Amino acid sequence: MADIDNKDQADLDPADMEDVEEVEEEETGEDVNSKARQLTAQMMQNPQILAALQERLDGLVGSPSGYMESLPKIVKRRVNALKNLQVKCAHIEAKFYEEVHELERKYAALYQPLFDKRSDIVKAMYEPTDEECEWKADEEEELTVSKQEEMKEKAKVEEEKRDEEKEDPKGIPEFWLTVFKNVDLLSDMLQEHDEPLLKHLQDIKVKFSDPGQPMSFTLEFYFETNDFFTNQVLTKTYKMRSEPDETDPFSFDGPEIMGCTGCQIDWTKGKNITLKTIKKKQKHKGRGTVRMVTKTVPNDSFFNFFSPPEVPESGELDEDSGAILAADFEIGHFLRERIVPRAVLYFTGEAIEDDDDDYDEEGEEADDEEGEEEADEENDPDYDPKKDVQAECKQQ
Amino acid sequence: MEGDHSETRGKVGDQVMQNPQALAALQDRLDSVSHTPSTIESLPKSVKRRVNALKHLQVRCAHIEAKFYEEVHELERKYAALYQPLFDKRRDVLSGAVEPTDEECDWHSDREEEEELAEELKKKAAVEEKKEEPVVEEDPKGIPEFWLTIFRSVDMLSDLLLEHDEPILKHLQDIKVKFSEPGQPMSFTLEFHFEPNNFFKNTVLTKVYKMKSEPDPAEPFSFEGPEIVDCEGCDIDWNKGKDVTVKTIKKKQKHKGRGTVRTIIKQVPNDSFFNFFNPIKVSSDGELDEDSEFTLATDFEIGHFFRERIVPRAVLYFTGEALEDDESFEEEDLEEGEEEDHEDDGDEEEGDFDPKA
Repeated sequence: MADIDNKDQADLDPADMEDVEEVEEEETGEDVNSKARQLTAQMMQNPQILAALQERLDGLVGSPSGYMESLPKIVKRRVNALKNLQVKCAHIEAKFYEEVHELERKYAALYQPLFDKRSDIVKAMYEPTDEECEWKADEEEELTVSKQEEMKEKAKVEEEKRDEEKEDPKGIPEFWLTVFKNVDLLSDMLQEHDEPLLKHLQDIKVKFSDPGQPMSFTLEFYFETNDFFTNQVLTKTYKMRSEPDETDPFSFDGPEIMGCTGCQIDWTKGKNITLKTIKKKQKHKGRGTVRMVTKTVPNDSFFNFFSPPEVPESGELDEDSGAILAADFEIGHFLRERIVPRAVLYFTGEAIEDDDDDYDEEGEEADDEEGEEEADEENDPDYDPKKDVQAECKQQ
Repeated sequence: MEGDHSETRGKVGDQVMQNPQALAALQDRLDSVSHTPSTIESLPKSVKRRVNALKHLQVRCAHIEAKFYEEVHELERKYAALYQPLFDKRRDVLSGAVEPTDEECDWHSDREEEEELAEELKKKAAVEEKKEEPVVEEDPKGIPEFWLTIFRSVDMLSDLLLEHDEPILKHLQDIKVKFSEPGQPMSFTLEFHFEPNNFFKNTVLTKVYKMKSEPDPAEPFSFEGPEIVDCEGCDIDWNKGKDVTVKTIKKKQKHKGRGTVRTIIKQVPNDSFFNFFNPIKVSSDGELDEDSEFTLATDFEIGHFFRERIVPRAVLYFTGEALEDDESFEEEDLEEGEEEDHEDDGDEEEGDFDPKA
């Protein structure tokens, strides 16, 4: 039987199609390339050629402008014209971000009534109505509960009733403290001795700089009256750079935090948890006599958040302070963008699952190096308490 | 009476701890709780009630947030008009339509000076050679292969680029971003402007990205701002024989019964950047197979990247400066997602014969 050569698919009888099996395929129009491919395959097997290729590639790595250098001068000239246009774009972008900031200020005023209501509920100044408390998710959860869990629920409900008869918790106790504990970024700063204080934290607000002022935002921490300090509000202001850097205009990617200031805390006597007293035994090198010295040294505490390292005139920071500031900026940004706007979701934990998905662990930076040394502080005349502040935090 | 309670609880506790089923159930409960740091379930009912009130407030926040993003979109539209004259000038310079003045080309950089010195030296050394070489180079117009170079330099784009796409992309003159008008559903359009060429008749190829800008009523707290949810391409009016998105293959087939052999010609999809204008459609029920979902997700990422980075900062991708910045982010991407090997030859696997194709 004759071959039906080169018939177009469309012309064939569909019935014919059923009983065929494929034997062989070839692509048309690819014959020219197959020789090139063969040659390339051979080349890739030659170690000398591979090495030469690798060298060439290495030469290009880290110098993307390697290509640029090879451009004719007349073209490079035009590329520079485009770069100048790009600088103009960066300045327009800066104005865009200023307007976004104004938009954020405008919307802050729209969110504020809702945040105020939140604060009133937390502080027990307002009891929400039944309608305001209806949340469908509860119903769904109950439907899927198994018999075993039903019994557990029943036992729990009875327990709760008994609890409620004992004490009537006001508002949402320890709301912000719980948020702090749930969020890694914040719990890392939290020390045990901070907790009794943070129970008094009633609200955190974000305030935006006014038009015409240099761009900044302020975090306000509102505390109810307490034994520890007399301030009602503790503040932290973050200053932002909202213009491209003249020497590096293309690094501009929107406003960036570049500095911050805290506030003075009026501690009640003996209650300043950012300080601790230590006793040191000191031995006189010459005479051999021993004496006891009492020193006040910085203590690890969340409340150091309100006295961040200062950036000196020269703009140069030591490595430790640099790291502390970088972490501080991250926290300020996080409080503003995520915590304050969505506090209840961090209280329940719902938002934490989301955040975990967005951020991959990049491996932890090894900053434990100093933490494990347990030098004999007492007998070391060179002991510098400041170095130990970070180490102590790991030990606790 | 409190003593009695705790004693009873203690006894029950002991019994539970000895019952394997109960232990298993407890373990399950603990496992599910371990991801919920604050033990909401253990809160008194009156407090839980108030937490729910806060959640309601949070839903209202989400709706205000949606309006915020609408206004940001309007701001972006307003600023797009402010950038446009600069982007138009860019297009004119790179296409060679306008020659920039010396002043416009003045760029201060140490590197430049080094380059100039190096060039001076090279010129001196090459003077002899030059006399022998015939002048081959034409005076290059504008910035040749501007956009093609960008495609080659950016991983996300070079992944889509095939050899046969390059001659076509040499004709790409400009990429513009257009924003949806107020009142319209939120979207943006990428316009690829081509100079007249042998491949297709269109002067512009478009890709529209549609966005969801309202919180999902079923999941109001997952709202993080507008998100691309769908896209639409355009028809390309290919000249005869120039369609790089299809290829013809010959297949030899053997009739199982009769044993006769025949050769048929088929047209099958070909890998090409230009499939970008013919994306997978999200079916009405929103269900897609895993591969398609991944392809679509990548497509959305590319659309977003064109809009946010490439178009606004094209020259920096041309020179490579922006690549150094982006590199750290791109690497994270690779670690997170699954690297799927997209076999080009999927259609030609044995046993894949589809009479309807």
